[in-house]
Amino acid sequence: CRTSSDGEPAKFQPPPKPVIIDRQKQREERRFLSPEFIPPRGRTDPLKFYIERKDMIQRRKVFNIPEFYVGHILAVTTADPYANEKANRFVGICIQRGGKGLGATFILRNVIEDQGVEICYELYNPRIQAIEVLKLEKRLDDNLMYLRDALPEYSTFDVNMKPVFRLDHEEVPVNKLQVRMKPKPWSKRWERPKYNIKGIKFELPEKKMKEAQKWNKPWLEFDMMREYDTSKIEEKIWKEVSEELKK
Amino acid sequence: MMPIWTKSGKKHAVTLLKVQDCHVLRYISKEESGGKTSKLLVGGKNASPFFKSKSAMEIFEEAGVPRKQKVTTFNVTDDAIIKPGTPLYAAHFRPGQFVDVTAKTIGKGFQGVMKRWGFKGQPASHGQTKTHRRPGAISTNKAAKVYRGKKMPGKMGNIYRTSLGLKVWRINTKHNIIYVNGSVPGHTNCLVKVKDSKLPTYKDCNKNPPFPTFFADGDENLPEDLYDDEIFQFTDPSVTYA
Repeated sequence: CRTSSDGEPAKFQPPPKPVIIDRQKQREERRFLSPEFIPPRGRTDPLKFYIERKDMIQRRKVFNIPEFYVGHILAVTTADPYANEKANRFVGICIQRGGKGLGATFILRNVIEDQGVEICYELYNPRIQAIEVLKLEKRLDDNLMYLRDALPEYSTFDVNMKPVFRLDHEEVPVNKLQVRMKPKPWSKRWERPKYNIKGIKFELPEKKMKEAQKWNKPWLEFDMMREYDTSKIEEKIWKEVSEELKK
Repeated sequence: MMPIWTKSGKKHAVTLLKVQDCHVLRYISKEESGGKTSKLLVGGKNASPFFKSKSAMEIFEEAGVPRKQKVTTFNVTDDAIIKPGTPLYAAHFRPGQFVDVTAKTIGKGFQGVMKRWGFKGQPASHGQTKTHRRPGAISTNKAAKVYRGKKMPGKMGNIYRTSLGLKVWRINTKHNIIYVNGSVPGHTNCLVKVKDSKLPTYKDCNKNPPFPTFFADGDENLPEDLYDDEIFQFTDPSVTYA
């Protein structure tokens, strides 16, 4: 009402400004540049990477390669001349993404009828018909090779799994699962600090864990020769790639 | 090096070679050189003119071309002579041709007999006294001498070697790049000599190559990329076996 408690004419109070949360902008801000676009450190001519990127973008225009990280569960269909219906479908968890440029690969692991199977697929292989992301979840590590020495229940995934529906296009959830291992010996000594694994529940005695810390190299973190700052390179490549893909 | 896929789904590894400022420098006739055919001197990759004597720069001044880092000779028949000063491009080669690539191998320095010649050496244990990577015996008793050319330790690498019979898969005319099958001697960004293959199986492989060479000011406008028939181009849909 117009009259204030003092009796004087009330000052015009503007309504409180609404806080606008621009969902579209938030969605665009989240960028994902596939790691194989970033060129490795070396003495190769940047022209070679530019030409490789052109080929990679060409392939991405024709065939959709979804965004995925290590720890996602993917289903890949490849063309196989020796299979029934000439197509082969494999479901598995992505353990590792390696390689740069056109030769980029990813390894999928699954346990089928009590036999662990790992298949290494090339991202840009023309024989791949489809890549579907069934479940998005990041894990605590970049490299899940320790699943080979973990109990088989952690690597089994249903072959006929339905894709899990995801509402938000923001932030891939991180699964902080701590995996239980089979008794030693393992294929690699995962408790050593070189592998820097956070996703295993080590049930080893304290003495063994302390002994493993003997191989710790704390000076590597401060070594300036090992630094490879990719932020500026990533910016340039992201601009280039997103412009080309929009065309 | 890059992977390349064929239409049947097979993967091949491919080396990229860039043709960087190549010019023909001089024509040497058969009588002058004293060989069986006439020769053409070709220079690659521009370099600074300041650190060479005048006599060395004469060849480049004659042809009207900046100083080149490397100069090689090509034996050429009389109908393929090119005027000195013409630039040479990657489109001189076409996909489907077979090519020999020569370059200086990576220098490994002074190396022992196991790495240089692949000798087996001696066992690591069971009583060997100070002998694990040595050549062992170097000659017989009756010979009473060591033969010339005996494989012994020495400087390894940094010599010219040729990879024969490499297929050309693809040519990029815009950046002058040749995609050659397999690996090529030399380190990355080293200078390399590319010739038509001398192997007898590939004698009749060149179907209408640009002869004597590809001239850029001619009328034919080539597309940016020239592909071999069997290559899978990334604009096509995925490979299926129907």
